[in-house]
Amino acid sequence: MSVPPSHLFVLAAVLFSIGAAGFFLRRNVIVVLMCIELMLNAANLSFLAASRMHTLANGGRPDLQGPIFALFVIVVAAVEAAVGLALVIALYRNKQTVSLDEVSELKD
Amino acid sequence: MANLIFYVMAVLTVAAALGVVVARNPMMSILSLLASFFALATIYLVAGFQTLAALQILVYAGAILVLFLFVIMLLNLADVGPLERIDMLMLHERKTIWTMLVSGALLGIGVFAALQSAPVAEASEANLPKHGIDELGGLAQAMFSRYLLPFEVTSVLLLATAVAVVVLAKRKRGGAA
Repeated sequence: MSVPPSHLFVLAAVLFSIGAAGFFLRRNVIVVLMCIELMLNAANLSFLAASRMHTLANGGRPDLQGPIFALFVIVVAAVEAAVGLALVIALYRNKQTVSLDEVSELKD
Repeated sequence: MANLIFYVMAVLTVAAALGVVVARNPMMSILSLLASFFALATIYLVAGFQTLAALQILVYAGAILVLFLFVIMLLNLADVGPLERIDMLMLHERKTIWTMLVSGALLGIGVFAALQSAPVAEASEANLPKHGIDELGGLAQAMFSRYLLPFEVTSVLLLATAVAVVVLAKRKRGGAA
């Protein structure tokens, strides 16, 4: 593939802003969590794009920092999903809702 | 050929990501997210990251999305009734306009930085290592030498998560169901 690295970064930026828009727009907790996953994926993509760019600049010597950080991001995403969904279950058990509009005690 | 695959998959990823945000049924959101992850894994593959592509599918599609699906089915949310609509009516709300402004600004900054930073090198398949950038042996060697401490910290994080999830999701003894 001979795509310039900047196109990968642009794709990551587009994905991240879609995720951010969904995070603010949606009221369903589960969809909000999915949007966070989307943003973490965009971060992963830019880590890998940077790694690819450095590998190309170094004449083919693999730059492993990007893949390793992407690996840690995947772990953190899994952890975040597990804790977030446990919170959703606890919320549903207490309030029978998954809508963020009905959980605003801390706001007002 | 690989370029074509990249651009097709990029369009597919973005379309599926939009589907996650726009879909009214959470089930459709999940399926959209699945499509997005698979397209992204294909992009990793053509960009020379075989191991990460495999992990993307194994961990994201295999573990995380199944967790989401499990919760949606457990709570029976697939037919939760009229959720919020993303239609012209919503465009008049102030919050929506602010959201669009913020994410549009994020997009602008991201695209600007991407086009500024990257000095376009000779980006071609021939300059990349033959077995991919993240060939498993090299990855493991780096992981267990230079990045050993973050690795161990991650295992502590996973243990803490397991405990936290059990505490959070446990039914209170004697409490109301």
